[in-house]
Amino acid sequence: MNAAALRMPLRIREVAHKRGLLVLLALAVCLSGAVEIGRGLYIPAKAAVAQVLLERAFDRSRIDHAPRKPWPWADMTPLARLVVPGLGTSSVVLDSGSGQALAFGPTLLPGGARLGQSGTAVIAAHRDTHFRFLRDLKKGDLLFLQTREGVERRYRVTGMEVVRWDGYAVADAPVGERLDLVTCFPFDAIRRGPWRYVVHAEAVTR
Amino acid sequence: MPLSPAFHPPLLRGALIPAIVLALGAPVAIAVHATAAVADEAASEDAASDDGPAAGTLMLRGQGIAKSLPAVRLGTDMDVTVTGQIARVRVTQAFRNTSDKWMEASYLYPLPQDGAVDSLKMVVGQRVIVGHIQPREKARQTYEAAKASGRKAGLVEQQRPNMFSTSVANVGPGETVLISIEYQAPVAQANGTFSLRLPLVVGPRYTPPHTLTSAAAVEDANAVTAAPVLDTRLGNNLNPTSIAVHLAPGFDVANLVSRYHKINVTGATDDRTVSLADTTVPANRDFVLEWRSASADPTLGLFAQKTAKGDYVMASVTPPANLDGLPRPPREMVFVIDNSGSMGGDSMDEAKASLIHALGTLRPQDHFNVIRFDDTMTRLFEHSVAATPDQVGLATRFAESLEARGGTEMLPALKSALEDAGTGGGTDPDILRQIVFLTDGEISNEREMMAAIGADGGRSHVFMVGIGSAPNDFLMERMSTLGGGVYTHVGAPGEVAAKMMPLLDVLSHPAVRDLSVRVEGGSLDLTPLRLPDVYAGRPLVLVGRSDKLSGTLTVSGRIGNKPWERRVDLASALPSPSIEKLWAHRKITDVEADRALGKLEDDRADAEVERIGMESGIVTSRTSLVAVDETPSRPAGARLTREELPINLPAGWDFDTLFGQDAVQQAPKDGSGDLAAMQAQALELPQTATGFLGLVGKGLALLLAGMTGLALVLRRRAA
Repeated sequence: MNAAALRMPLRIREVAHKRGLLVLLALAVCLSGAVEIGRGLYIPAKAAVAQVLLERAFDRSRIDHAPRKPWPWADMTPLARLVVPGLGTSSVVLDSGSGQALAFGPTLLPGGARLGQSGTAVIAAHRDTHFRFLRDLKKGDLLFLQTREGVERRYRVTGMEVVRWDGYAVADAPVGERLDLVTCFPFDAIRRGPWRYVVHAEAVTR
Repeated sequence: MPLSPAFHPPLLRGALIPAIVLALGAPVAIAVHATAAVADEAASEDAASDDGPAAGTLMLRGQGIAKSLPAVRLGTDMDVTVTGQIARVRVTQAFRNTSDKWMEASYLYPLPQDGAVDSLKMVVGQRVIVGHIQPREKARQTYEAAKASGRKAGLVEQQRPNMFSTSVANVGPGETVLISIEYQAPVAQANGTFSLRLPLVVGPRYTPPHTLTSAAAVEDANAVTAAPVLDTRLGNNLNPTSIAVHLAPGFDVANLVSRYHKINVTGATDDRTVSLADTTVPANRDFVLEWRSASADPTLGLFAQKTAKGDYVMASVTPPANLDGLPRPPREMVFVIDNSGSMGGDSMDEAKASLIHALGTLRPQDHFNVIRFDDTMTRLFEHSVAATPDQVGLATRFAESLEARGGTEMLPALKSALEDAGTGGGTDPDILRQIVFLTDGEISNEREMMAAIGADGGRSHVFMVGIGSAPNDFLMERMSTLGGGVYTHVGAPGEVAAKMMPLLDVLSHPAVRDLSVRVEGGSLDLTPLRLPDVYAGRPLVLVGRSDKLSGTLTVSGRIGNKPWERRVDLASALPSPSIEKLWAHRKITDVEADRALGKLEDDRADAEVERIGMESGIVTSRTSLVAVDETPSRPAGARLTREELPINLPAGWDFDTLFGQDAVQQAPKDGSGDLAAMQAQALELPQTATGFLGLVGKGLALLLAGMTGLALVLRRRAA
């Protein structure tokens, strides 16, 4: 390249030099675009792979009813499996070791009731990965939940609601077994917003 | 760059999501709207009120924030006289009304957990009104009646053994009322160092929601969280305190050190006078004074008081400190570390450093585990693992990553540790099972914690490490005693190593085993009933009562495999005027221990505490001191305004971690202190969008732009 450039007349060399820079710049933009796409696609990939590992850990948990870590450095353990027969989805719910658990699966919020006990249990997950299906839930749909302790519950969706992130409360008093599924709203927004979509469900006897 | 502004947030989001999820994921226990028992109602009402999400989390139920300085200003003076191994402390609180209204003020403050308050005097102008002891409810009635009739009144109640409240009614405009209380407490001793601790501030407490089961529980929770915390933006110099200590321990004093405050020292070596270098200090951290004997360590302290009711004696017996030749059995250690919001600031750093220091001393034959808790809990290993360098390294990294946030749900963590210590080490009786618990102890359900230790039945030894400038020493001391361990206080980042080293020495040596105490040639009613575990260099302090003091007291046991014994001639005791009250206080501690262990029902324990309190005239959970001025002072028509005096945030605490950024806006709504009674529980919902589509979209746009540019350049070059 250098040898060739030396033989060229000065003006042409200048132009080529300028163009070379432009090419490099364009290539850099392409590269950063590719990196961003990779980073973007990594998120649902991680979410999907984590669920596979969590499924395995959950199956082991179900045998001895004890918490099992899906991978050695995890700070959470699978707690239950949430199945929506009508939509064909199944996901493993985590006890919330830390907020990062949301990247790997739906998480039981510690402020709510425990699964299988009276009160309102609250499960949150990302609107664009694990809880994308919430938009398709309708009143009357059935949810099925099995915990690692062996508790099995059937819930019926009683309604949906959009609330602010800081404008949500669950009753402290025992009012039967309820389950709220929570995610961000609107589903296709690009920006983060203050709104949350809540699906209310109530335990039904089989 | 063809990048629209709309694409900027996703750019940041990758980095922000973990942080935001972490911050918002904190389960937030703010109770709202007493009437809204149904979730939907509370939700819709709340949505209307506040706006602008913030990362702050208010995790303390009922604990309010003071946005302005109080109308009634408080100044405190502490005058301490140490004679032998007992400190007699006079605390004088001056309530000065700076407003033009008639005021009632109430102040929540700490005292040492082993202090017995036996005197109350109220000074109004030239008159001194002496308080008297009454059962708690009756004292409250006496006070309320005086308050209603316009007479000045003072009331001292115990909320916890280390937490008291003073109320004064009918302080006129511009007037000052002095409340003077007195208490005595034994001086602590470890490895030849004597220490006097004067707590100056009550740290804000966390009330676990599950404990609020009855009206009485709610009232109790409100009482211990009554004091609003002064917003740190208004300064940190509230409640100035002056301290003077007269130190006459009966020997020449050496190595006199004040841990956290600058002091001036004057006087002869066996009669020192200590005062603060700055005349007053803000009440925001404990005052700790330590000293040693200039001559050989006094291993025995024996003091007696002869009264008409009988003779009282206090003996402290110290086992030998040098245990170097003894074998060090393998241990199973479970470390529990508190990373709740109240630990924010210096405390978290101290706790982490202490834990990492302790991890560094594990030997390969030891087993260990680490549990961290806020209102959630993580157990690092499912069960204890061998302390190989790899595992210790993993635990160290885990400790380093901890951040303070959330509430303080201590009970599940303790239960988990007790259970782990119960299963992980097998059944080998030679393996010492130890739990090292690092926390500031700022909770209101102390009794539940003690019951959990009691239920364990002494299989594990519990060592409490109190972190920060004003830890809850009552919880620490009692948990350690019930759990057969010792309590260590790490009060500043600089003293982690200095404080952890002696503790770890204690941990690596067995306690004196098969400890027994007997009295020959006389009879003695001794406390504590249940002998605590005794460690090298730490004294066993016995307090007893007898009709006529005589005979010998023998303490014996086994250190390693060698028998050890110490005899004390009871007749040689030095006189001291405080032993009777200390004995009464000890009896109450015994009753409370029985209650924690489930041997005594609540009603009977309360009745017993009340009986001891009334008999000995000390303030207890069931007895209060009340003083009433006989002359009415408030004119019939004038209104009385009530004020809970605010407290400083303990030094080193982080206001924003504790109360959140927007806490101040909530203060008017939350300041009343009765929110603990609410029925519905607000939950903040976490941010639940990964935004990966945004990232992909942005990536595609960049790619497109780049390729377009490339095509343009290349086409021009070809042309």
